[in-house]
Amino acid sequence: MASTSVAESAASGMNFEELVETHQAMVFSLAYHFLHDRAAAEEVAQDVFLQLYFHLEEMGSPVHILFWLRKVTANRSIDEARRRHRRGEVGIEAAGDPASSPDTDQWVNLRLRRLVASLPERQRMAIILRYQEDLEPVEIAALLDISVNTVKSQLQRALILLREKAGVEKRA
Amino acid sequence: MDPFEEQMKKALRRELPRAGFAARVRRRIAVQEERPRRAVWPWFPALRWVLPILVCLVIVVTLWYRQGKVERARGEAAKQQVYVALRLAGAKMQLAQSKVRQF
Repeated sequence: MASTSVAESAASGMNFEELVETHQAMVFSLAYHFLHDRAAAEEVAQDVFLQLYFHLEEMGSPVHILFWLRKVTANRSIDEARRRHRRGEVGIEAAGDPASSPDTDQWVNLRLRRLVASLPERQRMAIILRYQEDLEPVEIAALLDISVNTVKSQLQRALILLREKAGVEKRA
Repeated sequence: MDPFEEQMKKALRRELPRAGFAARVRRRIAVQEERPRRAVWPWFPALRWVLPILVCLVIVVTLWYRQGKVERARGEAAKQQVYVALRLAGAKMQLAQSKVRQF
């Protein structure tokens, strides 16, 4: 396993560096949008790729690698959020004020990200997988080990909550 | 997809980590690989033999103790039988003696 220092994955036909280059944005963004903290997201992303390196030989295909990366990142992010919650840690960016941003579109995006970050963890992960990764509820269900109906209801509830909060904030 | 969902997609679009991410991952892998693989229990090889021996010893001692208990119970029962037999023999002897004295 460790002998894969030049780790070439037969499954993907890529070496480890290429895999990192290809998937770093996906892994980092999943963790970042979930944790709302760049430093913590980078830590999670590094852990995920470290784990991938030592499990590379078990990967069957590029699709398997992508599924594995998404699943491990989702679980690792949820664990990290729980650990931070227990310790009472707050994401650095969560403490900032997006109102000072001059660009309106950027301001809206930041506002939406903060609203997403305030969702319950399962709803938050479902929303991120839906809109960042453009996944269907069936795929999200497989990643989070829950039923498709649960995913659908979580997405629906999360969207209602987000629309409400965004509406309230707009009016305010 | 309605405008709100479109905005969500924009807000949650993928972003790259800080430059040099791959290099930082490689560095962590190198550190991980250089770290000597310490056994969780350094005394594990010894334990591998000691544990079965201990288990066998416990089984043998338990069996020996149980066997002893059974033997003691059997001995006790035999002793009681001897007492009863002696008492019966004594009674019969007394009866015989009394009959002899009557003659």
